[in-house]
Amino acid sequence: MNTDNTIVMGVIGQDCHSVGNKVLHFAFKEKGFVVHNLGVQCSQEDLIKAAKEVNADAIVVSSLYGHAELDCRGFSTNCIKNGLNNVLLYIGGNLSIGKSEWEVIERKFLKMGFNRVFSASDDLEWAIDSIYNDISLRKFKHPVSVTENKDASQKRKVN
Amino acid sequence: MQVKNVKLTKDQFYKTRKQVLESWSTGKSLSLDESFRYLNSLPEHKYFSKVLDNAKRNNKLLLQPRGGVATLRGQKTLLEGFIKAGADLMPVTIDSYTRQNEYLKSEKGLSESLTTKKSVLNGFPAVNHGLKGCRELNNSITKPLQARHGSPDGRLLAEIIHASGWTSNEGGGISYNIPYSKNVSLEKSIYDWQYCDRLVGIYEEMGISLNREPFGPLTGTLVPPSISNAIAIIEGLLAAEQGVKNLSLGYGSVGHIVQDIAAMISLRTLATDIFKKYGYTINLSTVYHQWMGNFPREESAAYSVINLGSLTAVLSAANKMILKTPHEAEGIPTLEANMDGIRTSEHMVKMISSQIGSIKIDVTDELQIINEETNLIIDKVLDTGDGDLVQGTIKSFANGVLDIPFAPSIYNQGSVIPIRDHLGAVRILEFGNLPFNSHIKNLHREKINKRVKMENRKANHDMIVSDIFSISNGSFFKRKSHEVMKC
Repeated sequence: MNTDNTIVMGVIGQDCHSVGNKVLHFAFKEKGFVVHNLGVQCSQEDLIKAAKEVNADAIVVSSLYGHAELDCRGFSTNCIKNGLNNVLLYIGGNLSIGKSEWEVIERKFLKMGFNRVFSASDDLEWAIDSIYNDISLRKFKHPVSVTENKDASQKRKVN
Repeated sequence: MQVKNVKLTKDQFYKTRKQVLESWSTGKSLSLDESFRYLNSLPEHKYFSKVLDNAKRNNKLLLQPRGGVATLRGQKTLLEGFIKAGADLMPVTIDSYTRQNEYLKSEKGLSESLTTKKSVLNGFPAVNHGLKGCRELNNSITKPLQARHGSPDGRLLAEIIHASGWTSNEGGGISYNIPYSKNVSLEKSIYDWQYCDRLVGIYEEMGISLNREPFGPLTGTLVPPSISNAIAIIEGLLAAEQGVKNLSLGYGSVGHIVQDIAAMISLRTLATDIFKKYGYTINLSTVYHQWMGNFPREESAAYSVINLGSLTAVLSAANKMILKTPHEAEGIPTLEANMDGIRTSEHMVKMISSQIGSIKIDVTDELQIINEETNLIIDKVLDTGDGDLVQGTIKSFANGVLDIPFAPSIYNQGSVIPIRDHLGAVRILEFGNLPFNSHIKNLHREKINKRVKMENRKANHDMIVSDIFSISNGSFFKRKSHEVMKC
């Protein structure tokens, strides 16, 4: 896979679950993504700011502690407000309080503007491949110069 | 000001207290004298320390689930359900916004939960409920209450819960910072927890015995026992210096029976010796946490993991066990799932307890390793601080003498990498700057090498990732268990 796919990732809100974040970071890197991992306890602003800085193709949000809905309100609108019209938005984890019907949760987050919603039981490899394909498709539809992308990714230290 | 391991003076404490109580509206009405009168009026069975003492006398393992919801009514229902299912000690898990002092956000979450009649918070926002709500909760429940959270700065929370008659508080300057926060310095979290401990010390001076419990499992993911035990003992010493007398030290299962039993014995004996050595008189109890790492999604498999914890907790003579539920993999469990967790644990505890006299497990080798490693770490920390435990701790995290695997904090080096050996015990692949001698390091390497040969795969990131998920999958190894037996 090529290395032009740049993602910003992080655990949103006051969530401190760090193990999955580290596993995910490694898995994206293995698949050739340029990964900017903000770690745990990221605000929407942190993620948006980083995505702008590195001209990210996607923002990959994790949440395991049940506050995802509260923490993600207005996220998609905030991205657009900050000029991130083309960035793909993903979220995954335990996205509600207690065991709930997955379809209901998925619909809720899709409606909030996320391009895909992953449950904690989804296969990691499949999730990463889906994100890869989405980004490729978007690049095909909205071609951006590759050099522009590369320059931007060098502005920020890769974690 | 440099933070030292010295008891805060009354002057320092009351000066800070004024600011703490003013940090949110519910703090302003607190008065230590009035709280003393309330606490003094509570019966013995509402005191954590007394219930633990009784259990110790009768060799009973106490059961404590986890659980917190936003509203007062919801929390009452939850705790009543826990009691009905057979739990002995009550948790009140605090929501994540409160843990980070974001009381405005928890206030909003609370009012939304009241409107929608569904908890949108992952715990009970005790600071927002204030003395009135927290005391009402305490008065409506017959068993003792403990706050369980993850706050690097839980000073106002501590003030409110103790004044409300909750007789135990979990946490510590290390265990509620490094695994729970990204950006909070140890200097600050240790200082803020000295305040929480001093508060308990002041109540103790007034004749009110409150219990304190450092959080044992840390990141709950393949933490080598000597690392978590050393930190538990260090936090115990820091609490003792502030006047805490009733301490529960905890340990999180690594899912390996022999290593877990050895770790619990080591924790109990080393802590007893070390408290004595430094002149502290402590009423010590121990806490065993059922597996804290990644949980199977299948409820049937989750019960196995829960029951494994119960088995080991009885065999290691713990005084209290913290329970998991069959919903662990799904996030926050329902009351029903919690009740199932309590019932399955209680049943297993009864079965194992009735035959404990006939069970003999040799843990000598593991015990020796854990004892030696723990002593090496604690000695080096003290040495690093020129005898001062607070400075030693801060500097030791900076240089990697203390290092918690998978922790999110930027104040943690994260150079230590754990991995399982050929028999499933947790060993160390990368030592970072842990103060271990070559004899210990070789021992780890030999055992890891045996696994490398046995499984015919490299000890690398891939192996570590499978170790993180192996309890969920059942086997520690890639091959089926009967094939492993032949090796």
